[in-house]
Amino acid sequence: MRRCHQSGSGCSAGEELDATVERPFFVESVMLKVVVGHSNDPDSPAAIAEVIEQCDRALGDSAPQAGILLTAIDFDHALILQAIIAAYPGLELIGGTTDGEISSVLGFEQDSLSLMLFSSDTITIRAAIAPQISQDLDGSLQAAVAQATAGLESPIALCIALPESLTTSGAQIVASLRAHMGQDVTICGGLTADPWEFKRTYQFCGTEVHRDAIAFLLFSGPLLFSHSVASGWTPIGKPGVITKADQNIVYEIDREPALQFYQRYLKAMEPSSEYPLAVFEADDSNYYLRAPSGTCDLEIGSITFFGDIPEQAIVQITEATRDRILAASKAAPQQRSLNTLVKNRPPHSSFPARAAARFLAATLEKSTN
Amino acid sequence: MIAQPTDQPLTLQQLEKENRILRKKLERAQQTCQELEATSERREKILRQAIAELNDSRQAVEEKRQLEQTLTELRETQSQLVQAEKMSSLGQLVAGIAHEINNPVNFIYGNLLYVQEYVNGLLTVLKAYQSHYPQVVAEIADLAEENDLDFLQEDLPRVLDSMKAGAERIRQIVLSLRNFSRLDESDLKATDIHEGLDSTLLILQHRLREKPGFAPITLKREYGDLPLVYCYPGLLNQVFMNILSNAIDALKASRAQLEPLATPLAPEIVIQTCVLDEHWVEIAIADNGSGIPDSVQQQIFNPFFTTKPVGEGTGLGLSICYQIITERHRGKLECQSELGQGTTFRIRIPMQQSN
Repeated sequence: MRRCHQSGSGCSAGEELDATVERPFFVESVMLKVVVGHSNDPDSPAAIAEVIEQCDRALGDSAPQAGILLTAIDFDHALILQAIIAAYPGLELIGGTTDGEISSVLGFEQDSLSLMLFSSDTITIRAAIAPQISQDLDGSLQAAVAQATAGLESPIALCIALPESLTTSGAQIVASLRAHMGQDVTICGGLTADPWEFKRTYQFCGTEVHRDAIAFLLFSGPLLFSHSVASGWTPIGKPGVITKADQNIVYEIDREPALQFYQRYLKAMEPSSEYPLAVFEADDSNYYLRAPSGTCDLEIGSITFFGDIPEQAIVQITEATRDRILAASKAAPQQRSLNTLVKNRPPHSSFPARAAARFLAATLEKSTN
Repeated sequence: MIAQPTDQPLTLQQLEKENRILRKKLERAQQTCQELEATSERREKILRQAIAELNDSRQAVEEKRQLEQTLTELRETQSQLVQAEKMSSLGQLVAGIAHEINNPVNFIYGNLLYVQEYVNGLLTVLKAYQSHYPQVVAEIADLAEENDLDFLQEDLPRVLDSMKAGAERIRQIVLSLRNFSRLDESDLKATDIHEGLDSTLLILQHRLREKPGFAPITLKREYGDLPLVYCYPGLLNQVFMNILSNAIDALKASRAQLEPLATPLAPEIVIQTCVLDEHWVEIAIADNGSGIPDSVQQQIFNPFFTTKPVGEGTGLGLSICYQIITERHRGKLECQSELGQGTTFRIRIPMQQSN
């Protein structure tokens, strides 16, 4: 089974799970309706009103069962959540803060609010929140999964997760999700974000606003879905070997402080998520990406990443261009056909997720449109 | 659903919304502008460093390539020097042996002349005694019979002639060895090419003879009227030795490869010399062996290339020959061969060498 970690219709600054990649996620089902509302109005009440109006128009007579809310950080999240639940009582709602949002309604926007609603009479969707994951990740997830799956008639097929990005390693989050959900569940999602400040992010479940949590939706029933990955980042520069690391904190590269590896290129500037590391594990020419989380210790020269990097892995700085990111955006949906369970059927909806792309695409909104 | 003010005109609502959006976008734009400046600066720094590393890497690759090439050349030169040193040592050995043999053989040869004279005189006196005193005492008659005096008289001159011929032959061989090594003649010198060829052939003569399973190799000399040629005689003799040895090896190998019932050609080596024009002479050494395939011909002068089994050849002989002819003599060395027909090596050297 493939794991695919995506954010919803938005950008997260540093998805450690596969940091800074393009990962469309397609959902197909019989009797599944998916609608999207998107507003760039900075006024919270006006924005959510607009979004709900858009969703209502699209839903028609259908009643939504679950939803994913992705919003910029400068909104009144509690008010918005209450407005959504008031409009759709009983909605299994999750969400998180993002840094840039994409939808088929408005295209690419920053400082906006987007809501995706699912309506189905054959698929069961449950929302859950695992709080305080930096304190007890496994315990919190175990309890949340148990609560969410209580009484489910069908096994879980798909999990969309929106974890906190700043307090816990994404790799550990994925490992824990898998441990508690089983090998047969496809896990996708993306880390929540703030506007490139790496100070605070929020996760939502129902009307609750959390930090240091994982919000997730569980899908069970006759659901067909597929996913793919494409990256616009390519390795450049001289490789180095991770000589000292502890989960997602890298202390040394080539027996020198990790910070020096980046500063060889950036001089006095600190590492940025725009330039993740390509990680090659032993005897493997394939690589995955790990982006700096914005946290580093200037005294000892360590860098915290969004995901774990094992010792003795070989790493290289990567860089991307706008063209390569856009090419990846186009390539990822094409790859979907390799994974889909039902070929030659267009999906109902897709979640394209670009991480750390906005800096490289000043005209990205035009491009995505 | 949150209640919206419906008493205000829609246009005003829209304007207010647009105003909010624009203000937010302006705020964001200012922030983005700063971030983009930082992004641009980071990008420039990263790319500069990556380019510098790439250039360093290219330079390192080029240096490595040059080092490898230099190492290869050094190894080749070292092997050639070793080979040349071996040849030089061999030359010294040959010259040393020739010198050591030369004196005693001269004693023998010189004294043989006197021995012959003495023996002739003794035999003459004996004949005179026999003529004048045909009847001898019994003791002398017995001694004459016991020592087979008649046979002695007849055979002794023949024995002395044979010894003289042998001593003469040893002297010639010594002379050829000294001529071949030419240690005292390492500089450019006006040389009789034919002398060098003949001295080389003398050393190889034993290999031309018939051996069990191998017919004798016929040697044909077709010498032209060559003037003295300015060359390095010792080095040139090495070239002749190498090419002639290879020809003999090729003829023996051809004989060994024949089908059991096939009729072998009589093995033959032909040496031709001629004046090509007012500047050049040519020495051609040809054999009627099985020839050399094209693929081998192309590599034949390459250092370390050999078709002989491991341990039987260094693969340096012809490459050194090539070097001697082309670099030392500014001449040309070519190999022409046809499978089933044989091989000819053509050595062309200028008669004069300009410094």
